[in-house]
Amino acid sequence: MKAKVGVSALVLLFLGGLWLVAAPFAVGYQPRGAAYVDATINDLWLGGTIAALSFVSLVVYAADALRELAQRGKHADA
Amino acid sequence: MIRKFVSAVAAALGVLAGLWLMIAPFALGTQPEDADWTNTTLSEFFTGLGVTVVALVGVIAFVLAIRDDLVERGLVVPKPRQTEPEPEPVPAAPQASSAELASLLAPLVEALREDLTSRSRPGGEHRQNGMASLVGVEENR
Repeated sequence: MKAKVGVSALVLLFLGGLWLVAAPFAVGYQPRGAAYVDATINDLWLGGTIAALSFVSLVVYAADALRELAQRGKHADA
Repeated sequence: MIRKFVSAVAAALGVLAGLWLMIAPFALGTQPEDADWTNTTLSEFFTGLGVTVVALVGVIAFVLAIRDDLVERGLVVPKPRQTEPEPEPVPAAPQASSAELASLLAPLVEALREDLTSRSRPGGEHRQNGMASLVGVEENR
């Protein structure tokens, strides 16, 4: 149950990272055709990092859970 | 358990990222001093607040999950909660058996019997209905 809450938090973090990447253009503080302002650069780096980090964590979590399932299957066969 | 640890570390980094997002407009100088918050500041601050809260929940959840794993494997012994000692039940008073009750009441019965016998004797106080006392009847049997 607690792990499920944590995984849900990671999913929300991933979505938050995506929002941060899109925010400068969605909110409109990045003028079109102009060089990226400081806020845009900050949001792009931070949003990308958060999204990547949470995505990698989710992948690691799923991979380890699958490995555990496979081990249980082996024990069941033996 | 490794997956929970990795996820907890990632969530902890998310907390730091969220905190940075909240202060970034002021640190980078995109928010003018003595002015209302711009759209940039509002967006970054509240996004950072949300990221911080969500990541903190994730850290707590994963740490608790790791602790549960350790307890399940016997590597961590949870401290027993100190509860107030329950008052010891007071032993119920031993109930007198019927034999003890009879021995206790015997003097009283004997006194009543003597009293009734003395009343039924001639010269004594006569019963109003003229019948012999019950004790006397019993004795005559």
